[in-house]
Amino acid sequence: MTDLITMRNMVKIFPPNVTALDHVSVAFRKGEIHSIVGENGAGKSTLMKVLYGLVPPNEGAITYEGQPVRFHNPGEAIARGIGMVHQEILLIPEYTVWENIVLGMEPVLSLGRVDREKSRRLVKEKVDEFQFNLDPDALVSDISVAARQKVEILKLLYRNVSVLILDEPTAVLTPQEIPQLFAELHRLGDNGHTILFVSHRLDEVLDLSDRITIMRRGKKVDTVAVGTTSKEDLARMMIGREVIFTSRRIPKQTGEKVFQIEALNFKSPEGRDLLKNINLEVRTGEIVGIAGVEGNGQFELVNTIMGLSEPSSGKISVQGEEITHASILERRRLLAFVPQDRGRMGAAINASIMENASMTHHLLDPAFTRWKGLLMNFRFAGQFTEELQKLFSVNMSSKDAPFKSLSGGNQQKVILGRELLLPNPFVLLDQPTRGLDVGSIEYVHEQILRMRSEDRAVMLISADLEEIFLLADRILVLNRGTLAGERRVEETTVEEIGLLMLQGREEPA
Amino acid sequence: MIKKLVTGLMGVFIALLLGAVLMLLQGYNPLETYAALFQFSLLRPTPLATTLKNSVPLVLTGLSASIAFASGAINLGQPGQLLMGALAATLGGIYLDLPAPILIPVLLLLGMLGGALWAGLAALLRLAFNMNEFIVTLMLNMIADLFTAWAIAFPFMEKGANSPRTPPVNPAGWIPEIGGINLSVVIMLVAVAVSWFLFNKWKAGYEWRIGGQNSLFARLGGCNTNKNFTAVMLTTGALAGLAGCLIILAGPHRFLRGLGANYAWDGIMVAIVANNGIIATLLYGIFFAAIQTGALGMELVTNVPSEISLVLQAVLVLVIVASRGLLETIVDRWSLRKRVRGPAT
Repeated sequence: MTDLITMRNMVKIFPPNVTALDHVSVAFRKGEIHSIVGENGAGKSTLMKVLYGLVPPNEGAITYEGQPVRFHNPGEAIARGIGMVHQEILLIPEYTVWENIVLGMEPVLSLGRVDREKSRRLVKEKVDEFQFNLDPDALVSDISVAARQKVEILKLLYRNVSVLILDEPTAVLTPQEIPQLFAELHRLGDNGHTILFVSHRLDEVLDLSDRITIMRRGKKVDTVAVGTTSKEDLARMMIGREVIFTSRRIPKQTGEKVFQIEALNFKSPEGRDLLKNINLEVRTGEIVGIAGVEGNGQFELVNTIMGLSEPSSGKISVQGEEITHASILERRRLLAFVPQDRGRMGAAINASIMENASMTHHLLDPAFTRWKGLLMNFRFAGQFTEELQKLFSVNMSSKDAPFKSLSGGNQQKVILGRELLLPNPFVLLDQPTRGLDVGSIEYVHEQILRMRSEDRAVMLISADLEEIFLLADRILVLNRGTLAGERRVEETTVEEIGLLMLQGREEPA
Repeated sequence: MIKKLVTGLMGVFIALLLGAVLMLLQGYNPLETYAALFQFSLLRPTPLATTLKNSVPLVLTGLSASIAFASGAINLGQPGQLLMGALAATLGGIYLDLPAPILIPVLLLLGMLGGALWAGLAALLRLAFNMNEFIVTLMLNMIADLFTAWAIAFPFMEKGANSPRTPPVNPAGWIPEIGGINLSVVIMLVAVAVSWFLFNKWKAGYEWRIGGQNSLFARLGGCNTNKNFTAVMLTTGALAGLAGCLIILAGPHRFLRGLGANYAWDGIMVAIVANNGIIATLLYGIFFAAIQTGALGMELVTNVPSEISLVLQAVLVLVIVASRGLLETIVDRWSLRKRVRGPAT
C-alpha cells in the first residue's frame, strides 16, 4: 500500500515554550483506519489540527497524494478532500438534518433559491450509501448526540471528503452507541475512505483500527499494526512505563486516633440539614475513603474541616486538639489539604511555580522568611521548589515560570508536593485525581499510598469508586448529608457501596 | 522584563504614529509638533525638572492604584485620599512651628496619615458591614471633595482672601529645590523604591500579590486575608495622601479651590496603562506628565492647540491597553522563531 499522506518532522511550539510537536513523522495509507493514541497533552490533537490547517506548524513538510501541501485554513483542506470532526459539535439545532448538511454548499435554482428537493435527495442518497441510521428530515434539536455526530460526518462526506479526521468522537457517546459508530466507520474504510481516529481509550482503538500511532510528550513513539500489539504494550508506550492496574496496598496496622469529627451538623441559611450528625475518625497509617455521589455533603464537609464555614454544632479535632472554631492558619499547622479544583482553591495560576509552592510553608517554616518574618527568603523558597521538583518529578522549565504553564498533572504534583512537604499528621484529599490523565492519576495514587506508609492519617473524598477501592482501608458512604454506612474494604463490594451511595442508610433488619 | 519593555515601547511608538496621523488630518506638521512637545518636557533641563515635578502626584496616585488593584482591593478613592492628605498636611503646616528638618517629615507623615485614614474608613466598612470598597471609595471621594471645599471656605479660610483658600503653610515646611530639581521628586522615587521592595520582597507583599490573584487560595493557605486587605487599603491610601501633601508643599504652599482634582484620575489611568506594574507606573507616569507639560510649551511655538495632549493621552491609553496581549504574542513569536532556527533543534 502506498502512503496517502506523509507528515515529516513536524514541529509545533506554542508560545512561550510549550513544545506540542517535537519532530513528528508519520504516514497514513489510503483506506486504512489509523488511530493516534496518547495521554492528554501528548500532541495528538495538535498533529491533526496541523494537518487540517487549523494550526500552522513551525517546521515540517506534509505531502498529500504525492504532492507537497500546506493548508492555511480548514476550507483549503476540505477542498482537497480532508475533513475533521471536532469534539464539540457545531450544528444549528432548529434546522433539519439535511439543512445542516447542505448548509454552505446548497444546490440552487435560479435567483439563488435553494433547491430543497435536490438537497434532500442528495442527503438521502449519502445516508443510504453509507447505511447511516439517520432521518434526514428530523430536527437536529430532536436527535441524540450520537446522531449529531453522524450529521457532522455526513456533512464532510457530502463535500466529498475522502480523509476523515475524528477527534475523540467516543468521548461524548454512551457505551451502547459506540459499536454502531464503529460499524459505520468500518464501512467508510471499506469504501476507500481513510480515517484518522484520535483517542486515548485503548480498548476501542484496538477494536477499530488497522494501525496505531502512539504519541508521548509531543513525540511519536511508534506506529504499530493492530495484530502485533496488546493493550499492555500500548499502555507502556503511551506512559513510558508499566501501568499498575491493581492495588498494591499492603496490610498495615493502624495506630492512634488523629482526626475526629463528633456529632457534626451543618445547616443551610434556610435551615436545611446539609450535614447531619457526622461522626468519624481517622487513625495514623489509615486511608479513609468518603464515597458518595457528588453534592451529598462533600463540599460542606470540606468547608467545615478547612474553616471556610462554621458548623451549626459538633466538634472537629486533630490529635486531641479541637479546631472547630480555629483560624485557618491554626488548622494548617495540623492538616494538609489537596483541593479538587486546582485553579480555584489550590493555586494562583498566574503566579510563579515557586510562589505557589511556598504558600503555607512561608507561615509555618521560619526558613522561608528573614528579619523576623518580615521579608520573604526567596532564595530558600527557590531551593525548596527545586527540591520539590526532584522529589515529585515535576516537569517544569523553571521555578519562575507561571503555574499555568504546567500541564494539569504537573500542577497537581506541585500542589501535592507542597502539601505533603508540610509535616502535618492529617491529610485531607478532595478528589485529588479529578481531570488528570492515566499516568498522573497513577502517580497521585502512589503518593497517597506513600502518605499511608509514612503513618499519616488520610481522608480521601472521591466520586470514583474504583479509586476508593484501590486506596482506602475503610469506606464511609455519604448520602444526603448523613453517613449511610461504614465498611472495611475487604468486607464489601463495589455493588454494596454503590447501593448505599444511591439509597442511603440500610433499612434496619 | 525585557519583553515588557519592548512591548511597551512598541505600544508607545504605534500610539505616537496614530497621533501623527490625527495631526496630519488636522493640517499640522507632526514632526514639528512632537519636537516641540518633547523639547518642552524632556529634552531640555528646565522643562525636564518641571515634568518630573508634575509627575509626582501622577506617579504616586498611579502607584496607589497599581498596588491596590494587583492586591485585589478595588481602591478607587485616590482623589478623595489625595485631598484628605493635602488638607491634613496643610493644616499641620499652618499650625505647627518647627524647624524645616523636622517639620517636612512631620507634614509628609500627616499627609500619608490623612490619606490612610480616609482609605481605612472604606476598609472598616467592608470588614464590619461587608460593604463593597469599590462603591464606598468612590462615594468617599465626593464627601472628601465637599468636605475640603467647606474646610477651606469656612473654618480655615485665609482672612481677606477673595476665593476659598487657606493661608500659606509655614515656609519651613516648603519642599526646597536642589540644583533646579524639586525634592518632591526624590521623595517620589523613594516611595516607588520602598513600594517595590514591599510588594516584591516582603512577606506581606507576597501575600498581597497571591491574594490579589486568588484570595480563596491565599485564605486556604493560611493567610489572614482581612488583615492583608486592611493593610493594602491603608498603604495605598497613604500613597495617595502623600501625593496630595507633596502637591501642597512643592507647589502653591496652600490649599486652593479645585486643587489636584484630576491628578488622581490620571494616576488611575496610568495604573491601568502600566498593567499594575510598579516600575511601569513610574515610567508611564513620567511619560504622561511629559505630554501634559510639553503641551503648554508646544502651544507657544506652534499653532497646535495644547488640547492635542488630551487626544494623545487617549490614543496612548487605548493603543497600549488594547494591544498589550497582541504585542506580547508577537514578541513571543519573534523569540520563538530565533530558538527554532537555532542549532539546538
